This record gives sequence, structure tokens and C-alpha cells, in this order.
Amino acid sequence: MGKTILIVDDSASIRAVVCFTLESAGYEVFAGVDGQDALQYLDGRKIDLMVTDLHMPNMDGLELIKVVRQMDMYKFIPILFLTTESQESKKLEAKQAGATGWIVKPFVPEKLLAVVEKVAR
Amino acid sequence: MNELSTLTSYLSFKLGDETFAANVSKVLNILEMTKITKVPKAPEYMKGVINLRGTVLPLVDTRIKFGLTATEFTVNTCILVLDIKIGDDSLQVGGLVDAVQEVLEIEPNQILPPPNIGSKYHSEFISGMYKASEEQFIMILDMDKVFSADELIEVHESSQSVH
Amino acid sequence: MDQFKQKAIEEAYELIADLEASLLVLEDNSDDKNHISKVFRIMHTLKGNSAMFGFDYIAEYTHHIESIYDLVRNDKLKLNKDIFDLTLNSVDHLNLLLEDVNLAEEANKTRHTAKLNELIDFVKKINALIESGISFIDLDAAKTPKEQAPIENVVEPVKPVEAEIIIQSKVEEKTENIVVEETKEQIISYLITIIAHKEMLQLGTNPIFLFDDLAQLGKTEVYVGIEKDSVDFIALNPIQCHLTWNVILATSQGEDAIKDVFIFVESDCDLEIKKIADDNVFDKSDAQTFIYQILETTSSKSLLEFNHSFEIITTPVVKEEKKKAAIPTVKATVTEEIAAPVEIKKVEKTSTAAKDAAATSIRVPSERLDTLMNLVSELVTTQARLSMFAETSDNTEVTAIAENVQKLTRQLRDIAFNICLVPIQNLLTRFQRLVRDLSAELKKDVELYIEGSETELDKSMIESLSDPIMHILRNSLDHGIEMPDVREKLGKPRMAAIHIRAFYSGANVILQITDDGAGIDLEKVRSKAISKGLVSADVNLTKKDIIELLFLPGFSTAEKITGVSGRGVGMDVVRRKIMDIRGEVDVDTKPGAGTSISIRLPLTLSIIDGLLVEIDTVSYIIPLSVVDKCYAVEHSRIVSAYNNIIVLDGEQIPFYYMREEFNCSTPPPVLAQIIVVRYEEHRIGIVIDTIIGEYQAVLKPLGKMYKKQDMISGASILGDGTIALVLDSNKIIKRFGHQELV
Repeated sequence: MGKTILIVDDSASIRAVVCFTLESAGYEVFAGVDGQDALQYLDGRKIDLMVTDLHMPNMDGLELIKVVRQMDMYKFIPILFLTTESQESKKLEAKQAGATGWIVKPFVPEKLLAVVEKVAR
Repeated sequence: MNELSTLTSYLSFKLGDETFAANVSKVLNILEMTKITKVPKAPEYMKGVINLRGTVLPLVDTRIKFGLTATEFTVNTCILVLDIKIGDDSLQVGGLVDAVQEVLEIEPNQILPPPNIGSKYHSEFISGMYKASEEQFIMILDMDKVFSADELIEVHESSQSVH
Repeated sequence: MDQFKQKAIEEAYELIADLEASLLVLEDNSDDKNHISKVFRIMHTLKGNSAMFGFDYIAEYTHHIESIYDLVRNDKLKLNKDIFDLTLNSVDHLNLLLEDVNLAEEANKTRHTAKLNELIDFVKKINALIESGISFIDLDAAKTPKEQAPIENVVEPVKPVEAEIIIQSKVEEKTENIVVEETKEQIISYLITIIAHKEMLQLGTNPIFLFDDLAQLGKTEVYVGIEKDSVDFIALNPIQCHLTWNVILATSQGEDAIKDVFIFVESDCDLEIKKIADDNVFDKSDAQTFIYQILETTSSKSLLEFNHSFEIITTPVVKEEKKKAAIPTVKATVTEEIAAPVEIKKVEKTSTAAKDAAATSIRVPSERLDTLMNLVSELVTTQARLSMFAETSDNTEVTAIAENVQKLTRQLRDIAFNICLVPIQNLLTRFQRLVRDLSAELKKDVELYIEGSETELDKSMIESLSDPIMHILRNSLDHGIEMPDVREKLGKPRMAAIHIRAFYSGANVILQITDDGAGIDLEKVRSKAISKGLVSADVNLTKKDIIELLFLPGFSTAEKITGVSGRGVGMDVVRRKIMDIRGEVDVDTKPGAGTSISIRLPLTLSIIDGLLVEIDTVSYIIPLSVVDKCYAVEHSRIVSAYNNIIVLDGEQIPFYYMREEFNCSTPPPVLAQIIVVRYEEHRIGIVIDTIIGEYQAVLKPLGKMYKKQDMISGASILGDGTIALVLDSNKIIKRFGHQELV
């Protein structure tokens, strides 16, 4: 395994659930509380996947995704976003910003892991 | 090549103060010293390997085999490329010697039986003795035995314990 | 999830406190965009979290408020006093809901229903106004309420948790047997055409995962090509994707399952799924022709038709090992077997590129092949010297030519090897006869199953395997498999099964011979060994030790010499013969259940791609196929690491400090390199001094004198004449004990 995942969400309980689920499955997890905070983890260390919420203070998910896609080292990593909307517009917007796929909230831990596996192996 | 003539030709060489001889049929080549690549975790007498025109040749420190101190490399140190028979297989091995001397013609009737008891060296390696002069005796070596000897020693040791 | 409920509730309280603070600001300044966003976000988070943790009532409630603030923040609705009051009220209600999350108390339930309906009515009112076409709603201005037509809620009540994405079952760790439920549904064949958009890769998509997922649905063949009018090779931007894939898939799981695989990439490619047959197209007798006909109808151009030659480097993302093809591959075969429960006999063939699938072949005397291989080896060595020379010379033309020579040599090498590679099939099918005859003779009921017969091995190794496998089979039939009556009494099926499986693993081919017989009687082995004086009676032996006894010369537990097993051809001979072709034999057994014998063989005998490294001025080569990653580490960290374990990329990696193992005397470099290699499922680090670079090594054996040397599996002569020793990472790990590996 040995894959590293960066989770970005302003909700502490979401971060907790996601970290727990991913770490239990053997991933190493870094957690940012918003887009700005997440940037500190994109410092050249190996990040194999980023999962980000969209609505966050200081730098929201879309902005973060765009920034990450500009960084040479993380240009091609898979990026998933969390969404409660099933509206097409949000998904399209995020994809245009550079996202790979999405996870719909609420989700059960198994689904989180399944989607992670879908884009990062 | 005339089979008969090679049977009686022996190459003499020095290991320390002693002179030995080997049948030329066993000696394929004589090389000058060349770069030796040490193979780690090998017995002490295995000096390493050398590049012989594209072949990897294992190199034995003959002195250590004989219980002498390790070879000290001088301008005279040479490598004998030997054709050794181990079991049914023949392989090439390089042997370090301190100096190579000359080719001697020794008739079978000139070869004296090897010393048995009280000999400085393991007598099973020596196939005979030759009196080169009044003071000098040359030991004729059974090269096959010399270079495959370790097989025996090792097998003996390993049968004591299982794995 | 429950453990997080408490945390979620705490967080919710915090959020509500933030909400109140924002509302205080908005009270004085209802236009404050910042705080409007904040309120929206808080509601959004509350809704999302509540749904996550099962607080459905809160989710429901906040959902509506969120939608209201969505409109406000998008300037569709003015934040007036009504809305403000409603929000303020909600604060209280939310606090109540947090205290009684499941509305256990009747009073709370009633209150909630009332509040919720109030809220819903409000939202309905606003929706009505939106529906009527007003772009900015100012409730204060709406003096005359419009006729309210019965309207659906634009914003829908929150649905219970439902899986929206049908995620394929987790990609299993691939073993040689694919575990797919046997399905009785109709298998339909499809042509899936995927024309990637240029930016596909830039969205973090790895197309190979898509093919893997398709392969989970059924047998898959992937054909890659390029859109006919697309690319100028010289001007090609490598981060853009110009590829087109045509996938032939036979599955019973239906089109929806296929679509689900592509759910994230729908907007990043042109996807077309077309049914091409109502049955399994791969089962057709003229399958290949049929498939090629289908492919002819697609618009993409085979890669081979390009004028420029190039190599496709496939990164080992997939878990299944793919052999590197000699020619730039037009087709990458990702094959899966849908295992029928009983007979797993024939396996699909892998055909090579281009249209002439039923290619002509010629017979070539083996000696000629040997000569060819030798010449190729010499060429590789000489080319290495040329490259070395070119590097030191300033002449750019020489460098260019040398590079070309290197490319050509590599291709020639690969093709030459391929020529010498022969499917194991020929070897294995002769054993069917053996098993049939022997089982009849012994009056036992045995069926032989062969899998992976298309696995290829160097032809020179195939013959050497014949005797050992024969012997292993004989042993199994003679000693391992019980008489049918005995088996029946034991509750086993009367028909015994022997499986021979061949598959690739890393840089090796594995041949596994498994029977479901009685297994090896370890006690009997032990006592026999004691009685033969091979081991003393008081020595404590592990299961592994006892199995090792079988490999000692002269060992045989047969009371009498049967005509079948013969005499003196013990496992020691088997092992020796296999070691002669640089292989390994391992035995595992479970009393009562059966025995499994694994033969591990190197893929090629003579030339490997290696990583050239240095330890204490001596050059070593580590086969590239086992190398995972390289790290630079300060030497001090190596020395101070506890128990020879170091943390790299967050993973604990045990390492072998080669300088120590080799007793090196010279001072170590300040910066050491750790090469992380794979051995089975373990990752181990090998600490060396410096990495010199990649190197195509022509392997020369060390010779019989170094037979006991188990860490170095051979040597190679470098371009400048010096010798590099080839490290056998598998052996190094074994030698230093895998008790360290968990």
C-alpha cells in the first residue's frame, strides 16, 4: 500500500471520519482545514490523492484544485471532491477546475474507500 | 598437439619459498596481475573474480589454500588459468602464484612418490616429487584436488547440522 | 461512525455559535457578503455532517435554510427581516435538535414538525416567486402575493442515504485465480470506444485503472491507437492524451455496469458502447478475425502505422505483471478468467501485434538460436563500451549514433529473447498422459488441471524442467494421493486433483504443483532422517527444517522402491536440477490437505536490465525488475536506525546495510542510497553508496567455485572491462532471515 492521501475539509468531524477510515485501510493521511491550510502539505512530499470539500473558508475547494493543478509535482494526482449536491453544475465546475472524480455526502466508509480505490492504486 | 609430449611437461612456480609444478595440460594460460573484483562473503582463499576476455574467472589465492599467508602482490605475481575437473564437470579457475619459473620435462620414472606422514602439506594434493637438483625438490601437484579440495571440507562440516 | 457522532455534535454546537456571531453582524449590515457566505457554509456543513452521522432531522431542517442562503449569496434573494428572524429562530431550534437528536421526546417531535412545516412553507413561497420568473426577490417589496400554483419544491427534501455511484466491487489483489462469481446470465460482447480528450491525463485520470475495472467485468482485450487525423509527433505535447482505445469486453453484467466504470471520465472522452455479439465473442472459433473486422470499422489508426519509431514505456501500475513486448505494442492484453467451478483447463492465448494472427512460422535448429543469443550478448557488451566511449567523447555525432545503437540493441535483444521464449504448454501437456497412465496403474482417481500454459520460458530451461516435474508428479501420485476409498472415508472427493499453475511474478516465472492428497507426513520424515543419521534426535526442528530434510541427498521415505518413484532420484536431484537453471524450489504441506511445490525461475537467463550501483568502490547490479524506488538518506540515519528499520514515505522499511554485511573498510559516504526492492509482498531496503545508472547487464555466471555464494547471482562485464557483481535481492533477504519481516 503506502499511499498518501491529503484530505481537506473545514468540518472537524468529517476530517475525523475520513482520516479514521483511510488510516484503518492502510493509507497515510494528512488533513487540512481549508484550502490555504492544505497548501502546507503540498511541499514536495509524496501525495498520491487529494480529497477536498468544496465549501471552505480562506480558500475553497475549487480554488484549491486549480492551484494544485498548477504545481508541477501534483499536476497529475487524482483529486476527488466531496459534494452534497447531485446537481450537474457543481460536478462540471469542479471537473473544469481539474478534479478527477467525486464522492457524494453523506457516504458510508466503504463507499469512500471504493471511490479512492477507483482513482488511486 | 602431441598428447604424449604434454603429459611430461610441467610448469614450475613458486609459492613463498617452495617450488611446485603442475602438468601443462592443466594450465591454459598465464596472466599478469589484473584488477580483481572481490566477491564478498566468500571463503578467504577466494580472492574474487577477474575479467578474462569477456569471461568471468574466479580467482583463488593458492597460498591461502596451502595454509600460507595471503599473497603479497609483487611484480612477479601471476595468475595461472587452470582447467580443473570437479566431479564430472570441468571448469576454469585462476590461481595466484608468487612467480612462474619454467617448463620442465619430467619422465614418469623420474617422479618420486609423495611424502606421507610428517609432510608440511596435505599429502593428497601432491601426486609426486621431482628432484630438480641436489638441494631442490619440486612437489608435483594434483591441481584437480587442490582446487576442488574445499568441496570436501565443506561437505564434511555441513553434515553436522541441518540447515 | 458512532464514535464520531459525539464529535459531530460538538462541532455542530460550535458551528451554531459561529452562526449566531454571523447573524449579529448581519443584523446591522444585511449586505455583508462575507457573513452571508459564512451562514451558507455553516448550513451546508451542518447539513452534510448531519446526514453523515445520521441526524436526519437536522439534515432535513438545515437543508432548507441552506437553500435559502444559496439564493441570498447568489443575489437572487434579499436578506430581509423575515429571513433574518427565521434564521435566528432556527438557531434555537437547532440547539434543541442537537440535544434530542432522534426526537425521542414527543414534545420535541411535535415542535420540530411545526417548525419544519413553517420553514417548508416559507421556501415554497420563495420558490413560487422564482418560478414566476423574478430574478431578484425582495420579499418586502412583494406587496401583492401572487397566486400560488401548486408547485413542487424546487428544493427537494433530503433523501435518505443512497448510493449514487454504483462503485464496482473493490479491486481485489490479483492472484492467478480470479475470484469472480460464476454467473449464469447471458454474456454479451461489446465494443467500447474511448477517444480521450487531450486534457484527460491532466485531470488525474489513469486510463489503466479503467481497463482494470473493465477487466473485472469479464474478459477484456484492449487495443490502443491514435485518432486518424491527430498528431504531429515532433510537436507532440506529452502531457496531452492523443490515444484512443477500443476495448472488446465480454460480460454478463450489462451496459450499466460498463458505464459505471467511466462515471468520472464521461466529460473527458468520447465514449461509445456498442454491442457486437449476443454471446461471448472470445469463444468463437474465428474470434480473432471477428475482432479485427470489428476494429477495422473504428476510426483510429494503429500505432504501428506511424513512421516514427518509438518505444512505449508501460508503468507497472497494474498488479498483474505484463511482459515487455519486443515491438512497440499495439495491443496490451488485460485478460481475466471467469473460472468455472470445476474444470479450469484451457486458457486464452495472447497473440502478437498486427493482422496476421495466424502467422507463419519456421523451424530453427536450437544451436542457431544459441549462437544468436551469444552474439546478441556480445553485442550488448560491446554496445556498452561504445556508449561509455561516446559519453566521454565530445563528438555529438558519435553520441547520437551510440544512442541509436543502444536503442537498436535493446530491441534486438528483446526480440531475440522472445524468439527463445516458448510457452510452457508443450512441457505441461505431456504430463497429462503421465498422470493418466500412472493413476490407472496405481488404481487411483486423479485429474490433472493445468493453468497458465501460455506462460513463456526460455526454451533452454523448459527441457531441464521435465525431469524434476515428472518426479514431483510421481511423488504426488505415489505417496501423496490416497486411494479413492481412503479419500471417501476422509470426506474428500474420490477424484483427487493435481493442479499445475504457471504464472509470472516479478522477474520470475512460478510453477506451482499442488495436490489435495495426504500431505507430507512430517513425523515420518523426521524419524527417517534421524534413523539415517542426517540429524540428531534431540535437535528441535521447525516445520521448515523438516521439509528441508527432504532435500538431503539419499533421502527417501519409500519403504520399498516402487517402479513409479524409482530410487535415488530424490528431491535433492530435483533441487539441484532446478538450481542449475538458476531456479529455486520450495515445498509447503498441510497434513491431510495436500502438498504444494513451488518452482521459481528467472525469466531470462542471460541479459537483464539492471541498476548499476557502487558499494565501497565495487560495482554491483540490482535487477531493475525488483526495484521499487530509490531514496537518498544521510548515512547517520542509517547507522542510528533502530533494529535496521527506517521510515521512508511514511512506511516502515527494514533494510540491509550492505557495507556492514560485506565488511567494507573504507569510510562510507555522507549520503547513502537506499534501493527499495520488492520481494513477494514485502518491501526491503538495500543500502548502498552511490547509484551510477541503468545498465543492460549480460549475465555471466560466477562459476561453480562460487556455488555456495548465495547473495551474488552472477557477474557482468562493464564497458570499461571491470566486473560488476549482480545482487540477488531475494537471496539476500532470505539469507538474513525473514523473521524480521512481519
